[in-house]
Amino acid sequence: MKVVEINDVFKTYHDTEVEVKAVNGVTLSFERGDFAVIVGPSGSGKTTLLNLIGGLDQPTAGEIIVAGHRLSELKPSELIDFRMEHVGFVFQSYNLIPVLTASENVGFIMSLQKWPKEKRIARTDEMLQSVGLADRHKSRPAQLSGGQQQRVAVARALAPRPEFILADEPTANLDTKSAETLLDIMEKLNREEEMTFIFSTHDARVVKRARRVITLEDGKVVSDERTNHNS
Amino acid sequence: MKNYQLAWRNLWRNKRRTLITAASVFFAVFFALVMRSFQLGTYEKMYRDVIESYSGYLQLQHSDYLDESNLDNGFVLEQPLTDIIESDPNVTGVIPKLESFALAASGSRTQGVMVIGMDPDNEQKTLNIKNRLIKYRLTPDATEALKEEKLPARTAKLVDVFSGEAWTDEKSLISDLGISDDDSAAVMPLFRKHASLDSRYLTSADSGSAVIGYGLSRYLSADVGDTLVVMGQGYHGVSAAGLFVIKGIVSMPNPEIDNAFVYITLADAQYLYAASGMVTSAIISISDTDDKELLQTQQRLAASCNSGLVIRNWKEMNALLLNQMEADNKSGAIMIGILYLVIAFGVFGTVLMMMAERRREFGMLVSIGMQKRKLAGIVGMEMLFIGLLGVVAGVAASLPVVYYGYARPLRFTGEMAKMYEEYGFEPVMPMLLPDTYYLWQAVIVLLILLIAITFSVRRIFKLNIINALRA
Ligand SMILES: Nc1ncnc2c1ncn2[C@@H]1O[C@H](COP(=O)(O)OP(=O)(O)OP(=O)(O)O)[C@@H](O)[C@H]1O
Ligand SMILES: [Mg+2]
Repeated sequence: MKVVEINDVFKTYHDTEVEVKAVNGVTLSFERGDFAVIVGPSGSGKTTLLNLIGGLDQPTAGEIIVAGHRLSELKPSELIDFRMEHVGFVFQSYNLIPVLTASENVGFIMSLQKWPKEKRIARTDEMLQSVGLADRHKSRPAQLSGGQQQRVAVARALAPRPEFILADEPTANLDTKSAETLLDIMEKLNREEEMTFIFSTHDARVVKRARRVITLEDGKVVSDERTNHNS
Repeated sequence: MKNYQLAWRNLWRNKRRTLITAASVFFAVFFALVMRSFQLGTYEKMYRDVIESYSGYLQLQHSDYLDESNLDNGFVLEQPLTDIIESDPNVTGVIPKLESFALAASGSRTQGVMVIGMDPDNEQKTLNIKNRLIKYRLTPDATEALKEEKLPARTAKLVDVFSGEAWTDEKSLISDLGISDDDSAAVMPLFRKHASLDSRYLTSADSGSAVIGYGLSRYLSADVGDTLVVMGQGYHGVSAAGLFVIKGIVSMPNPEIDNAFVYITLADAQYLYAASGMVTSAIISISDTDDKELLQTQQRLAASCNSGLVIRNWKEMNALLLNQMEADNKSGAIMIGILYLVIAFGVFGTVLMMMAERRREFGMLVSIGMQKRKLAGIVGMEMLFIGLLGVVAGVAASLPVVYYGYARPLRFTGEMAKMYEEYGFEPVMPMLLPDTYYLWQAVIVLLILLIAITFSVRRIFKLNIINALRA
C-alpha cells in the first residue's frame, strides 16, 4: 500500500540572485513499512524533499499525495492539522519541548489530538518502554543525553501512530553507540508497529541498516535501490 | 497539557528575565501610583483648603463681581431671596460676606490686606475660622526660652526645626515635636508658659475687634491685643478708615490668604466701607458637595436669582488656582508618560529577545502540529502573567505608602517650605487614597502589554517554519 506518492515535484528557491533548483523533478513513492534513507552530497536537496513530503513546505510544481490528501489543496492551518494527524517528525536536534518531562513530551501530540487521558498515558508508557527510557519519564530534556533526547523524540513521533516518520539526519549529533541504539529501536518499531520510516542521512551506519537507499544529486533521484538487510 | 500550564512553565524557564521584566513593570506602576497620589492629594488639599477657609462651594454674587471684585459690584441681600435659597434641600446655610482690599498697619509696618466681614455666628456654619485659631506658636523668643529649659533631646532639636510654626491644637503640637506620653506631663507646662497664645474668636456683639492671619501677624509683628489700623476706599469712593484690636490669630492653610487675612464682623465691615446693608457675596453652604450634585444645586438656585445676581461655583471663583494645578498636572502626566515609555521599551526588548531565542522551538512546535493561534495564545498568556505580576505587586506595594501618606502627610520644613510658600502653597503634601487614577495605571500597563502581545502574535503568525527550523 502506498503511503506517499511524489509526482514530478520541483522546488525552486529565488531567495538569492541565482535561482536554486533544490528539488528538480522527483517522482517517488513509499510503501507501508518502508525503512528508507535518502542520501546524497550536501546541498543535493534531501532536507528540501523531506520538508515537502511532510507538508512543511509547498512544491513549486508537481503533486504530493499523502494518505489520500493532495497537499497542495490544503490551506496553511489545514496543513498544520494534517501534520499533527499524519506525520511524525524527528529533527536533527532540538526536538523536545524544554519545559516538559520526557513522558509529557511523548504524550504531547496525542494531547493535541485529544486522546482520552487513560489511553494517552498507556501509550506513553508503552513508547517510553520501547525506547528504553521508562525510568527517565520524569526527566526534562536538559537532564537527558543527546541520544536519550532523540529516543524520546522518536517515541513522541511514533506514539500517535502517524502514517510515517520523517527523520532529517537523526543521528548526526550522536556518538556511535547512541546512534546504534537509536537505530535498533527504530528498526524494532518498524518491525513491530509496521511503521514507515524515511530518513535523510550522511551517516554510513544508517545507510548500512536501510532496506531502501535513494540517492539524490542536484535535486534529482540518481538511484533507488532495495537491499535485503535483515538485521 | 493545558495552554496555561505550558505558559506558566515557560515563564520560569528564564526566571531572571521574567523577574527583571516584572520588576520593571512593578517599579513603573509603583512610582507612577505614588507620584500620582502625591500630586492629586496635593491638588485636592489645595482645593479643599481654599473652599473650606475662603470661598465655599457656592456663592451668590453680582454678575460683574467675578471680573471686577469691588464694592461697587456689591448688592443688598433681601431676606426673601435668602429664604428661597435656604429652602433648597441641599443648602445648609447662607452667609453674607462683605469683602474688600485695604491697607493695614501696626507699629511701623504696612501691608495690603483683604478685609472680610462676616457674622461670626453665621460664619461657623460653613467656614472653619474658629477651628483655625492658633493656640501655640514658636516665635523666636519662645524658641530661645524653650531651649533654656530642660527638654528631651528629640524635642529640643525639633523646636529648632519648627521655629516659626504655629499650632491650632495640642495634639498636632505633641506629634510634630515628638513629645512622648511620658514626657508630656513635664514638657507641656513649658510650652504653655512660653509658646501658648490666648487667641479668641469674634462674637456677633464684638465691635472694633479683628482676627488676623498668622502670616500677616508675623509680617506686621502684630500680636493679640495690638491695634490694627485699616485704611481703604469705601462704597462709591468714600475713604474708609478704622481701628481694630486684634483679638485672635488664625492659621489659614493657603499662604496667600494667610498673609492678607483680616476678619471683622459684617456690621463693622459695612460701617468701615460706608456700605450699610450691602454685601459683596453670600457663601452658600451645601451638604452634598459631589461635583454632579454641586452643579445641579447651582442650576436650581440660579433659577431663583433676581436679575443681576448669579450663583458661582468654586471652580469659577478659583479659576487661577485651577489653571495652576492643571499646568502642574500636565507636567506630572508627562513625567509619568516618560516613565512608561522607558518601561515599554524594556518590555519590548524582552519580547524581542524571547522571540529570537525561541524561534527554533516555535518552528518545531508548528512542524509537529501545534496551530499558530494556540502558540500565540500561550505566548500572549506568558506576557500577560508577567505584566499582571508587575501590576499586582506594584499596586500592593503602593497601598501602604499611599495610606500612610494620607494619614501622615509629608510636611516640608526649612528651605523647601519657604520655596513652597513663595509659590503660595502650603508646604504639605498629603496623598490621595486609591481612586480612578489607580485604574488608569492598570489600563496604561495593559495597553503596553497589548502592543507587545500584538507584536509577538503577529510574529508568530508570520513565522516561516522552514527558516525557523534552519535557524
Ligand atoms: N530556504 C531556502 N532558501 C534558499 N535556498 C535554500 C533554502 N533551503 C535550501 N536551499 C538551497 O537548496 C539546496 C538544497 O538544500 P537542502 O538543505 O535540501 O540540501 P541537503 O541535501 O539537505 O544538504 P545537507 O546535507 O547539507 O543538509 C541548497 O543549495 C540550499 O542552499
Ligand atoms: Mg539537510
